[in-house]
Amino acid sequence: MPAPRRAIALIFPSPLWGGGRGGWSHDVLDSPSPSLPHKGGGTAASQEADLLITNARRHRFAFAGFAALLTVLASAGPAGAEPKAAREAFVTNQTGDSLSIVDLAAGKAAAEIAIGGKPAGVAMAPDGRFAYLTSPDSKELVVVDAAKRTIASRFKVGEGPLGVAAHPASGVVYVADWYEHRLFAVDPAAGKVTGSVEVGRSPSGVAVTADGARILTADRDSNEVSLIDAVTLTRTAAVTVGERPFGVTVDAESRRAYTANVGSDDVSVIDLAAGKVVGTVKVGRRPYAVALAGGRGFVSDQYAATVTVFDLETLAVVKTIGVGEYPEGIEADPSGSAVYVACWEANTLERIDTATLEVTARIPVGDGPRAFGLFLRTSE
Amino acid sequence: MVRLFASFLALVALWPLAASAHGPTRQKVTESVEINAPADKVWEVVGNFQDMGWHPAFVKTEGKGGNEVGATRVLTLENGGQIFEKLNKYDAEGKTLSYEITEVDVKVVPVTNYSAHFTVTADGDKSKVEWRSAFYRGYVNNDPPPELSDEAAVNAVTGVFQSGLAALKKKLEGG
Repeated sequence: MPAPRRAIALIFPSPLWGGGRGGWSHDVLDSPSPSLPHKGGGTAASQEADLLITNARRHRFAFAGFAALLTVLASAGPAGAEPKAAREAFVTNQTGDSLSIVDLAAGKAAAEIAIGGKPAGVAMAPDGRFAYLTSPDSKELVVVDAAKRTIASRFKVGEGPLGVAAHPASGVVYVADWYEHRLFAVDPAAGKVTGSVEVGRSPSGVAVTADGARILTADRDSNEVSLIDAVTLTRTAAVTVGERPFGVTVDAESRRAYTANVGSDDVSVIDLAAGKVVGTVKVGRRPYAVALAGGRGFVSDQYAATVTVFDLETLAVVKTIGVGEYPEGIEADPSGSAVYVACWEANTLERIDTATLEVTARIPVGDGPRAFGLFLRTSE
Repeated sequence: MVRLFASFLALVALWPLAASAHGPTRQKVTESVEINAPADKVWEVVGNFQDMGWHPAFVKTEGKGGNEVGATRVLTLENGGQIFEKLNKYDAEGKTLSYEITEVDVKVVPVTNYSAHFTVTADGDKSKVEWRSAFYRGYVNNDPPPELSDEAAVNAVTGVFQSGLAALKKKLEGG
């Protein structure tokens, strides 16, 4: 929580706040970090008052969060038994520096825990016991005990960890490093990197095929998808896709993969056996990631604030659904009945009914949700 | 200042890389203000994409395309720095518009990939104006210098939003 630094602003208010003619300026380098949104306007004095109020509120929230955490810990019992039945979403709130754990049946956030390092990527352990988060700012992988809703461990991985995925059988965690242009294999229990492989430039999304044979990275600045052998951890092929691929998703049959291409506003469809693109779907502006449900693809379009739905066989667009602004991380419920999408600007996790193709719930989460990866927990 | 200039030179050297990538942490700034004036009157001022004259930071607005989607404008600061922007959405009835910065020197504004929304909401005879933005810091690689950090980017945008909304309130309530 950057809150304490805010107090400095009250002593040295930025000259810009006075409504002067200074314009954009670098002269406020020592100003605090207003990384949380703050309301208000008017005079400098009233803004300062607003800031004080915001500060007080923030501390209260922090305390309330801590109290809630204690309650959760107490109710989890001595054996740490997992909560029954509830399907949950683990939503990384990058701006808010936290993780929202959403109870999907109840349609509301059950907990929000502080993470640090501006978490973005998320993956779930195959048994659902742990969630793995990447914190690019602190260059860490953060392991969250899903049942206890606490941080189990955290450790450094690379220089810019972003995309993350877990192997469905071995539980090895793969972390893409945006700056080092590598994919790291991590033993999450030991808290260490066990291997790595060079991929294309600025790998972002990571996916593991359901059969566990291959790992894919969307190499954003090479306009490629790397295919990596999961056993030998070697890069066996690089498939050229659209411009600036960000998220990558593989189907349940390990047959096809889909990339959301931020630069060319489309989705590339890759045939994994052939190792080439077999189709392209035009979607909304700045697509982020793809989810698959009921024979359809669901694409989060950041700038368009829509989810584009297309048929996986014909590749024809079926519908464009309006959602909260800046939709990002998107995943299908394993039941196939719903798709969940995190909306970064709207601060919501939204539920799309796959039968009606309508938004049926807008669940408030923390500030700046990204949920980049597979964030649904289905155990129990 | 010397250090700032040196970092600027370093950035120029890195520019081809900078133009094609950004770091993983997108920032957001939201500011709003209540104005004691009807929403129509507020929209008359802020709904003209070709005139940012209400904002004290900008001495000149030049552009073309009016309020049509795809319209462009160039905002000039007192120090001569320029910001190039494009209109992405325009809804006069809903009193909301969205635009992005298509080109700006990070020395002028320490941000990249900047987009913003401007919305006026009626509240009886009063209005609420909300200005929201999403952007990345000026330095696209790891471990930024302080003047191109996330904080610097957020501070710069926050400062411009707050000073602009304060001036808008004063203009509309005063006149």
